[in-house]
Amino acid sequence: MSYLHINGIRKVFGDVVATDHVELEIAQGEFMTFLGPSGSGKSTTLYIVAGFQDPTAGDIRLRGQSILNIPSHKRNIGMVFQRYTLFPHLSVAENVAFPLRVRRMNRAEIDDKVRRALALVRLDGLGERMPAKMSGGQQQRVALARALVYDPPVLLMDEPLSALDKKLREEIQHEIRRIHQETGVTILYVTHDQEEALRLSDRIAVFNQGKIEQVGTGPQLYASPATRFVADFVGDSAFLSGQVQDMTGTGATLRFADGTMLRDLPLHGAGRPGGAADLMLRPERIDLTPGRGREGASLPVTVEDVTFLGNSSTISARTPWGEVLAVRLTFGHPLLGQVRRGDRLTVQWQAQDAHAFARD
Amino acid sequence: MLSFLMPARRGSGLGMALPALVLLLAFFVVPVTLLLTRSVTEPQPGLQNYETLLGSATYLRVFGNTFLVSGTVTLVTALIAFPVAWLLAITTPRLAGILFGIILLSMWTNLLARTYAWMVLLQQTGLINRMLMAVGVIDQPLQLTNNLIGVTIGMVYIMLPFMILPLYGVIRKIDPAILQAAALCGASKGQALRRVLLPLAAPGIASGALMVFVMSLGYFVTPALLGGTSNMMLAELIVQQVQSLVNWGMGAAAAFILLVVTLILYALQLRLFAGRGV
Repeated sequence: MSYLHINGIRKVFGDVVATDHVELEIAQGEFMTFLGPSGSGKSTTLYIVAGFQDPTAGDIRLRGQSILNIPSHKRNIGMVFQRYTLFPHLSVAENVAFPLRVRRMNRAEIDDKVRRALALVRLDGLGERMPAKMSGGQQQRVALARALVYDPPVLLMDEPLSALDKKLREEIQHEIRRIHQETGVTILYVTHDQEEALRLSDRIAVFNQGKIEQVGTGPQLYASPATRFVADFVGDSAFLSGQVQDMTGTGATLRFADGTMLRDLPLHGAGRPGGAADLMLRPERIDLTPGRGREGASLPVTVEDVTFLGNSSTISARTPWGEVLAVRLTFGHPLLGQVRRGDRLTVQWQAQDAHAFARD
Repeated sequence: MLSFLMPARRGSGLGMALPALVLLLAFFVVPVTLLLTRSVTEPQPGLQNYETLLGSATYLRVFGNTFLVSGTVTLVTALIAFPVAWLLAITTPRLAGILFGIILLSMWTNLLARTYAWMVLLQQTGLINRMLMAVGVIDQPLQLTNNLIGVTIGMVYIMLPFMILPLYGVIRKIDPAILQAAALCGASKGQALRRVLLPLAAPGIASGALMVFVMSLGYFVTPALLGGTSNMMLAELIVQQVQSLVNWGMGAAAAFILLVVTLILYALQLRLFAGRGV
């Protein structure tokens, strides 16, 4: 039995379907991230877990028990919001003590828990400060302490770092990881930032248009994306458009505009001979070589442009039929610094790094 | 170059405020000084006007009535205005616009007309008494005019906008996510109201309450029409002293006491809510 079960959640606003058949089982202590663009249904799903919205259909079960009929304030769930939501009239310590006060805990216990929660987020000694006198990063740390002080079974985080600048964001991502490890709390984390998702999560659920496209660990999503959307959203990728020539047990053959054929490609989605399909290649998973290249996993290209980035170069390479794909050469590559515009070279890849996606 | 518009150093920008200062001096400081002077010089020099006002049971009852009515009006107004302001802040812009229209329309309607309307509604054979009797809540008509109940009802109605508007101002600025956070922290609706919403709305409540209380202290029309002669309030006393008895000293003393009470309340509010907006 899973710890938290998001069971077939569907939410309809008027005639807009915000989420549809969202199904997820989350283990105790897991760090699960909902990744997707805005409007993909990830926040709606989180709000339904929080109890701010009721689903049109489906159930949320915690340790096997439905929590849908429990109002927000009795769900005992912790949450850190996108906007700063500290109570502005209360000091840092009073903010963290708030959940304990409304639970009518005794004074000594409250003081002890508040002290430990502030130590956890490394704000010891700042208890007397007012929220308005703190930086955005500090305010989100206080919010985190306030959400964890009552030992909730689940912690929800709704893009908590989106208001912070990049450097601070990375610093607090570290803190969140550490706090997750120290407390072992189950976390549902919403973000549209794939880097943040990859850095933090045990598993990632990729949302698109109200549905989950794929659930898996970061490396799984990166190495074997189930859909074109996931391939596009997680990691960098180039898509070359072709046509399905035929399909066999080992994969599909794609034919490109100039007649080039590539065989035995794993085809995702409902492909059919004659239908359109895209070949996905990641810039850092393809190689550039002056030679002939690997049989069946290479293409002759012409160099369009070279962008030098210090420890790597990104090369725009044009295929024989005119589409452009990016190739990343990292430090140590024999061709780094050698490639010039107009060079005729070959790109090659490992068979498992090429994925074909049928277009609807 | 526009440098001649810029103050050359701190403090020398006072020149631009000079007309306003002169205006304040001519129309505020001078009259108040004259008022104070009259209250201690007429009919003869001394503090006897203040002694009479603060020493006799009759006049103390006038002060008592004034503070009782003003306090009740402030409290009732706040209780009604808070949910209205809350509704205005959370509802759709369309409905909020309609509600604002209703509130402002009542504010812009002639004061006398509104007070006479209340007289009609509240009198023994008025709509309210007849309705209550028809429903069977009462057998005898209630005495709702010519007493402080009538004054309170009439004044609450008139003062409502002055409480709703500042309250709306502060409530509108409260991020709804803060209340969601309170709920997830475990606060019931009542706890969220008491521990979060009310403290955050406090500056608005205070400025609305100050406005309503101070306006009520010196209000004349409604107490005069709905109150009757046996329940005099301070403004009526001043009018009586000046108009009927031509006792300027006494009227000035009463007005000056009113001013001092107002200033004390204002100072209190500034002290309690300094730097908290509104």
